[in-house]
Amino acid sequence: MNNDYFSYTGNAFDRSKVDEKPEALKGIRVLDLSHMIFGPKAADVLAEHGAEVIKVEVPYQGDYWRSSTYWGKYWKHSNPMWHFINHSKYFVGIDVKYPRGRELILKLAEQSDIVIENFASGTVEAWGIGYTQTRAVNPKIIYASLSTFGQTGPSRFFPGWDLLAQGASGVISVTGYPDTEHFFKVPDFFGDFYPGFFAAMLIMMALNYRERTGEGQYLDVSQAEIMMRSIFHFTYSNATGEELGRTGNQDPAMSPSGIFKTADGGFVALAAGTDEQFTSLCEVMQRENLATDSRFAETIERLKPAHAEELNRIVAKWIGSLKIADIRKLRETCKFALSEVEDDVSISKDDWRKERGSVVEFNDSMYRKLVMAGSAAMMSETPGRIKWLTRPLGYHNRYIFKTLLGLSESEIGKLEKEHVVGYWDYRVGQRPPVYYNIEEDEIFNYGGENDAK
Amino acid sequence: MPSKEKVYSRHMQNKDAAKRISEWSSVLSDIMSTEGKPEALADTVVLDLSYANFTGLIASSLFAEAGAEVIKIEPPEGDPARLMTPYGKTVKGTGIPYIMESRNKYNICLDIHDDADKNRLRALVQKADVLIETFEPGLLDNLGIGYRQLKEINPSLIYVAITPYGQYTEHARKLASIPWSDITSQAESGMAALIGALPGDPEPYNWPTRAGFHAAGYASAVSAVCSALIALFFKRQTGRGQMVDVATADSFSSCVGFPPTIGYVWGKPRPRYGTLDYGLCPYGFFKCKDGYAAVACFRDQDFRAALRILGLWKIEEEWKTLLDRITDDVEKAKILNREIEQAIASMTFDEIFKKFQAFSIKAARSKWRGGGLPVTTKMLRPREVMEVDHWKARNTFFKVDDQYYGIFQVPVTGKMSKTPLRVKRISASIGEDTQQIFEKYGIK
Repeated sequence: MNNDYFSYTGNAFDRSKVDEKPEALKGIRVLDLSHMIFGPKAADVLAEHGAEVIKVEVPYQGDYWRSSTYWGKYWKHSNPMWHFINHSKYFVGIDVKYPRGRELILKLAEQSDIVIENFASGTVEAWGIGYTQTRAVNPKIIYASLSTFGQTGPSRFFPGWDLLAQGASGVISVTGYPDTEHFFKVPDFFGDFYPGFFAAMLIMMALNYRERTGEGQYLDVSQAEIMMRSIFHFTYSNATGEELGRTGNQDPAMSPSGIFKTADGGFVALAAGTDEQFTSLCEVMQRENLATDSRFAETIERLKPAHAEELNRIVAKWIGSLKIADIRKLRETCKFALSEVEDDVSISKDDWRKERGSVVEFNDSMYRKLVMAGSAAMMSETPGRIKWLTRPLGYHNRYIFKTLLGLSESEIGKLEKEHVVGYWDYRVGQRPPVYYNIEEDEIFNYGGENDAK
Repeated sequence: MPSKEKVYSRHMQNKDAAKRISEWSSVLSDIMSTEGKPEALADTVVLDLSYANFTGLIASSLFAEAGAEVIKIEPPEGDPARLMTPYGKTVKGTGIPYIMESRNKYNICLDIHDDADKNRLRALVQKADVLIETFEPGLLDNLGIGYRQLKEINPSLIYVAITPYGQYTEHARKLASIPWSDITSQAESGMAALIGALPGDPEPYNWPTRAGFHAAGYASAVSAVCSALIALFFKRQTGRGQMVDVATADSFSSCVGFPPTIGYVWGKPRPRYGTLDYGLCPYGFFKCKDGYAAVACFRDQDFRAALRILGLWKIEEEWKTLLDRITDDVEKAKILNREIEQAIASMTFDEIFKKFQAFSIKAARSKWRGGGLPVTTKMLRPREVMEVDHWKARNTFFKVDDQYYGIFQVPVTGKMSKTPLRVKRISASIGEDTQQIFEKYGIK
């Protein structure tokens, strides 16, 4: 029966059929005015599901994340970590500083379903491309303003990043070991990416509502608030009168739980959340007596600090007697949560993730092969997909200006001369890779129907 | 715009801007209120069968906050997640995380192994738009109530399955009996490997470390809801349902995307980096006289500004450009970090904040570009966060005043002008709504 089920699901989610299936958001246009990670990630989720996302950047300057890097390393003259935040989008360079630039952006907004921005609160309004100005030309617009602290409240104009959202929300204060000086942040700008997904979720709520009622709306998305929504420590503090604080590697809501070291120096995470899971653990450890010990027999008793500590000691000793190979074998039969601690390389190489599509080897016409995260959730009928990696600043200028704004080649030439629209500076992250002949690129040099004008 | 508000952006200081911003402020005047407003998903019915799995519970909570009718289905003895609570602390027998996520839901009991109850579930599925389940892959299929069978009675059903390794691949089949936990999800998806003290620091502080909250659980839940809503949008247009499959072993790597790309491009894993940052320095929280203050200098001008404020201008020459402050050499990064640490240690947070703010506002007014925008905030503990005026003004905490559970606060966000997310009630008693739901849907 189980085998039969897996052959059914294997077929339903078959990666080789992705391109034959429809895209759920086809026909939805998103104007992505955002920069760095928080906003662009929200737009990227929509692009992955078929929305036409037009990313607007300042000519010859661009999104700062284009040229950012970890450890000063680049990949084919680009920031490798820029691609998975900005794939399958259209890139145009328009300068809002010029009245004509503002007009062009508003014209794109007029034809869009969704606008996403994450400048300091109020900035887009000051520029004349905010919600109030967009609503005037497009009453059904869903306009999402993303920021650290939100668009209302006394701290609304405070600038911020991921780091500030994590600190202001309480998240950093609960991460690390008790009685130490170290408070760790959640790495890799989790405070941008996770709220970015949350923003995409809110936008999808608004889009479903609009589909039902025809009404658009304004979304005020605060990344610090989203981090706050995700910790139970506030409610814990109210209910018990105590601060939970840092608990190191123990998840205080599961016992035993922790990260342990094996005899051969590997790291393993383990948790038992229910009586059934705990019984399985006792059997595997050959310590059946623990399952009937009054300190451990029931979940609530197991979770009490002294009992949880004792259990963790027992588990640490047991894991310490095993090798990673033993753990791998145990995983095929155990009924409690048990895993290795995986790192960048093991994740990039896991065959099952590639088969699943959560890690994708993408072959791009401009950048060739890159390994990237695929969809975070798989969909059987409308799977998400990567269509192209990033493109240089202004790469889609002609394509978008001609197809959506009805501009002719000479009009575009005039706007270029006036610096209203433009392209890349010869800088890492903005320009095409050196081996790529942009002069022969059909999209960059898009002729279109208006050529005859 | 109220004149006492401090504005950082130069774009907001001209005459035109003031007029535009005042119009925008009036649009925002009622955004914090939920009173009398419709709900985005008022037409949506969600069945939540999640079992011993917080990702499922969080996902259905988010639906319920947006107005969906969420029916939480559990066996008569209750969902074991009810007892997954810090140190075993409960309120009237129910765990704190469970209470926090019991938002606007209806609680009914069904035994999925009982034939009569299976038929009741099928009757509910006919009325439902979304079903969320977290059992071992194939378990419900074996019982005749999996996606394959349910789509026959409701072809437009959106079936969301949440498990560690998903519903397909040989790997998922082999490890099907491993249950969900947040700590293993963090560990497998690459999060724990990056948190912890520097390699040379003492054990166990330099071991892989968990984020101190259900970070993997929430990340997976939000992507589950996001995809279910994308499926719901597709269903509104085509009438077609589908299966959504979430593997929590992907939670962090699929959310932030760094691990697979860095693993491939660099070919070696990153070491744990303590309180330093992989990208740049300084970017972190530093101990001051009365707590911890953030110093985050993204651009060169931000760094220069921070040095001037902190009285460290003498070291500017050595750390001039972003490339000098790139942290590939941990020993070098520690030197700059220590300089900042020492400077911050002698100041109170208020001093730091006032200096940073004054500098930023002045720089924003200057017609000369590149004045720098050094930013700071204080690291707050949850109790302190609840006292911040800003969050009070935004109604970020909903006060539950329940006859049974008592009075406490739960965080809520999702400020949508027409259909804001909201907590209407917390209700978590086993089976309390069984009668009402059965009557509503004519189930016997």
